[in-house]
Amino acid sequence: MTCHELDLLLDDWVDGALTGAKARELELHLAGCAPCRDRERQLRQLLAHAAALPRSMAPPRDLWPGIAERIERGSAWSAFLASWQPVALAAAAALVIGLAAFLWNGSGPAAVRTLAMPSASPQLRAVTNTGIADPVLAAAARDYEQAAGALLEALQRRRAVLPAEDLARVEANLEVIDRALEEVRQALVKDPASPELNRMLVATHRKKVDVLRRVVRLSTAL
Amino acid sequence: MGGLAGVATGDARVPMSEDHDRRAAEMRLVRAAQQGDLLAFERLYRDNERKVFGLCFRLSGGPELAEELTQEVFVRAWRKLGSFRGESAFSSWLYPLTVNVARSEHRSRRRRDARIVATEDPARLERTPRAPMPEAGFDLERAIATLPPGARAVFVLHDVEGRTHEEIAGMLDIAPGTSKAQLFRARRLLREALVS
Repeated sequence: MTCHELDLLLDDWVDGALTGAKARELELHLAGCAPCRDRERQLRQLLAHAAALPRSMAPPRDLWPGIAERIERGSAWSAFLASWQPVALAAAAALVIGLAAFLWNGSGPAAVRTLAMPSASPQLRAVTNTGIADPVLAAAARDYEQAAGALLEALQRRRAVLPAEDLARVEANLEVIDRALEEVRQALVKDPASPELNRMLVATHRKKVDVLRRVVRLSTAL
Repeated sequence: MGGLAGVATGDARVPMSEDHDRRAAEMRLVRAAQQGDLLAFERLYRDNERKVFGLCFRLSGGPELAEELTQEVFVRAWRKLGSFRGESAFSSWLYPLTVNVARSEHRSRRRRDARIVATEDPARLERTPRAPMPEAGFDLERAIATLPPGARAVFVLHDVEGRTHEEIAGMLDIAPGTSKAQLFRARRLLREALVS
C-alpha cells in the first residue's frame, strides 16, 4: 500500500469501517511510515476535538419575545385565511346566481381566466376597456384593477416567505374571485347597459382589492 | 435546561423513571401548546433553545444568522405542532426541522445575497487564523464556519452531533455516498487548516 492509497482509506480506518485484508495492509503501512502515522494522529485529534465541542449553546440574547411576536402575527394570518375562503366562495356563488338571469342563450360556463398570482401582468395595470358603460363606474373599475395589480406585485415579493399551503389557498381564492369577474364581464358583453351588472363588476373588483390588501398586510407581518 | 435529547437517546445517567416522568411532562406541554397555549410552548422553547441554537450556530457559521434560524425553527415548530404525536422526544422531532430550516435558509440566502455564502474555494481556509490542535476549541469552531456549506453540514452532523450517514442523507436529501464524500472533504480541509 502506498501513502496515497492509505490516505484514501484513512477516514474509513479511523471510523472503524475498514476491515479484512485492506485493514491489515493499512496497519502494516502505518507501522513503517512516520508521515502517515502523523496524518492518522492528526485526524484522530480532529475528531476528538469535534466530538468534545459542546452541543448546546446559550443564545447571546433572549430570542423568545421575537418568536412569540411572530407566532401571534402568524395566528392573525391563519385566522384571516380560515375566515376568508367561505366569504370569497359565498360572494362568488351569489354572483353566479345573479348572473343566471343575464346569460340568456344557454351557452356553457364562461371560460375561466386564471389570474396567476406570480405574474401581476402588465395588462392588469394597463386597463383600457372595463366593459362598463357608465364612465364613473368604469373609472372606479380601472382604479380597482390598477390597485389589484400593485397589490399582486407586493404579494409576489412576499411569496418566498409564505408557507406553501397558505400560498395555494390564496391563489385558489383569487381564482374564485377572478372567475366571478370574468363571468360578469361576459354578461356585460351581452348587456352592456345593465346597471345591475355594472355595479356587480365594480363590487367584485372592490372585493378583490380588499382581500388583496389584507393578504399583503398580514403576510408582511409574518 | 436543554437535556431532552440526552434523555431521548438513553443517557445512562438519567434513571428510567425520571426519563419517563420528563417525557410525560413534556407531552403535557406539547398537548397544551397544540391547543394554543403559548406559555406551554415557551416552556418547550426554554427546554430546547440551547440545543437548537448550538446546531444552528454550527450549520450557519455565525451567531447572528443562528439567532434568526433559531427563531424560524420555533415559529415553524409552532405551525407544525399538530403533526407531533409524541412517538419521540420533542427535541428529536425538532432536530430534522432545524436542519431543514438551516438548509432552506441557506438556499434562499444564496439566491438573495451571494456575499453571505461561504465560498466553495478551499483557499479561503488559508486565510483563517491557525492554531495548534491542543488549543483548537475556538479555532475549530472558526474553521468549521469557513467550510463550504455542504461539507460543513455533514461534518457538524456526523463528527460533532454523532449522526450516521444514513440519518444525514435523509435529513439533507442526499445519497449516503455523497454524505461520506462531503465528510472526507470537510475533514481534509480542516486538517489542512488547523495543522500547519
